[in-house]
Amino acid sequence: MSVGGEQNDFPHPFWRMLARRDVLAGLLFIGVAVLGLWLSRDYPIGTALRMGTGYVPRLLCWLLLGLGAVVLVQGLREAQDARPLSSSDVSALRPVIFVTASLVIFGLSIERLGLIISILLLIGVGAVAARGLRPFETIAAAVVLIILSWGIFILGLGLTIPVWPEW
Amino acid sequence: MELLHNLAVGFGVALTPANLLFALGGALIGTLIGVLPGIGPIATIAMLLPLTFHLEPTSGLIMLAGIFYGAQYGGSTTAILVNLPGETSSVVTCIDGHQMARQGRAGAALAVAALASFFAGCVATMLIATFAPPLTKVGQSFGAPEYFSLMVLGLIAAVVLAHGSVIKAIAMIVLGLLLGLVGTDGNTGGTRFTFGIIELTDGIDIATLAIGIFGLGEIITNLTQPPETRALIAKKITRLWPTREDFHRAWPAVLRGTALGSVLGVLPGGGATLSAFAAYALEKRSSKHPAQFGRGAVEGVAGPESANNAGAQTSFIPMLTLGIPGNAVMALMIGALTIHGIQPGPQIMSERPGMFWGMIASMWIGNLMLVIINLPLIGMWVQLLKVPYRFLYLAILLFCGIGVYTVSNSAAAVLLAAFFGVLGYVFTRLECEPAPMILGFVLGPLMEENLRRAMRISSGDPAIFVERPISLGLLIAALALCVLVALPAIRSKREEAFQE
Repeated sequence: MSVGGEQNDFPHPFWRMLARRDVLAGLLFIGVAVLGLWLSRDYPIGTALRMGTGYVPRLLCWLLLGLGAVVLVQGLREAQDARPLSSSDVSALRPVIFVTASLVIFGLSIERLGLIISILLLIGVGAVAARGLRPFETIAAAVVLIILSWGIFILGLGLTIPVWPEW
Repeated sequence: MELLHNLAVGFGVALTPANLLFALGGALIGTLIGVLPGIGPIATIAMLLPLTFHLEPTSGLIMLAGIFYGAQYGGSTTAILVNLPGETSSVVTCIDGHQMARQGRAGAALAVAALASFFAGCVATMLIATFAPPLTKVGQSFGAPEYFSLMVLGLIAAVVLAHGSVIKAIAMIVLGLLLGLVGTDGNTGGTRFTFGIIELTDGIDIATLAIGIFGLGEIITNLTQPPETRALIAKKITRLWPTREDFHRAWPAVLRGTALGSVLGVLPGGGATLSAFAAYALEKRSSKHPAQFGRGAVEGVAGPESANNAGAQTSFIPMLTLGIPGNAVMALMIGALTIHGIQPGPQIMSERPGMFWGMIASMWIGNLMLVIINLPLIGMWVQLLKVPYRFLYLAILLFCGIGVYTVSNSAAAVLLAAFFGVLGYVFTRLECEPAPMILGFVLGPLMEENLRRAMRISSGDPAIFVERPISLGLLIAALALCVLVALPAIRSKREEAFQE
């Protein structure tokens, strides 16, 4: 990918500034800190001698807020367009979505549908995440992995995971 | 001799058939994932963490340790034959190891790497056995304020020696500390940051967090990159044994690498990768013919390979003696202990001598196994490199899923891991190292506990941390590290060191 192409991804200077790694990281830390402070607003703080539930969490949140602000300022003061994220980072959504989805489906199905079916679902959805996986390969991988995990987890370790759906 | 007696106890434990089997299993898995690029020891140990719950604690630790140092052996194979680092700690081995392979000396490079690793592993095991008892005594004399300050120093040092932005790494530590506090506060009984979700009242399990951040995050990161081409050296490896000249030149490099790796491994944030980089720089600088480096100098393989193995092993010292994790793998080891309800810290050696010395003895046995696994069976491992990543990731994905589910037999844990997977990917993209976060996560509850105890001792006066001499010394050391990194001259030097 050419450098010129990357600059055209975010035409407006504001977005270009926002796309810098340190700016985003700083905002992420600040966001978590603010969320933490808001969540802990009702936690009893107590005194240094008798620390309440909220004492240490609130202390850490303020610390994180400060560190996040420093990272943010560092990012804003960086040279123009230093190491911005590029459109290749945005097009990476495919693996993000399908890897996450496959795991979510696996988690939701394993107790009701059992190990075999939830493995099939995980492989089916997860296979979409990578490009170039042929249908035949996916099926072969699923069969091998089902046998392998049945052997290791059910037969070998005797885990109490339902294998088949419960009717 | 107390040392001999202790080692005898250790070998008694490590040589039982079951523990031999687990050491072998760990070494095999370690070699496997070391050879394969795209999956590292942190993700593997995270995935296997839930399984150790079903094992004896000693056997579980022996296996996990085997994975860690086994990966250092396996990583060099890929580096030499394919010019791809199987592990980050073998990045520098690529430089000269692969050049040796291209000159038809792959066998010699592999043998030097394996023998250098074995030598370093033996020395490091002896070092652990020698230095663990006195360090444990130091740890036992510590009160709550000293412990708190020691943890502060450990966390700061881990950040300073790691690469990347120091401020971001400290922020990641704080984030980890906060995540460690999720759940029920043991002191007051109040719940924190649970969002009303019942599964979170027991806190976040370290396996769930690590599998998400390292396992799943790594999968997503790998899938977003274009598939790499693996140009395997096709020639058959004929001559495995290095020449006399190779030995002559490698020997001093191995000694230097072992010494350097052993020292760097003990430091928080040190360990295998830093040791390997530093050893390569040292060899290049001290060599009489630096022009050969990058063109297949045997010292460039022997130095870093001995250093990464020594560093990997001595990084167990602070974890075993003080309960302070120096890197992410050690944090997971502490997680494995706590799964069994064992509180890590200086009391382990006296309360569970069998486990402590058994693990140390198993490291030596494991290293011996690894030489045997690696040298004659090298052809088998090379075959594995032909498995494309698109198959591999499906297997990793599935084992992540099952691993998380078995932590607590709860679907909520799987969903939580999926969330952490996305977070891990975001961190990678924003160049925020996730390793300091795991350290913070493990130490979070411990730090709060020791802070509370210290405050009770001093009736709420924070001056206790600077009034006690040991605590003051530890804090000054932490502060000095921060100042050192901030100095412009050191800063550029540090960046230079990581550039090499």
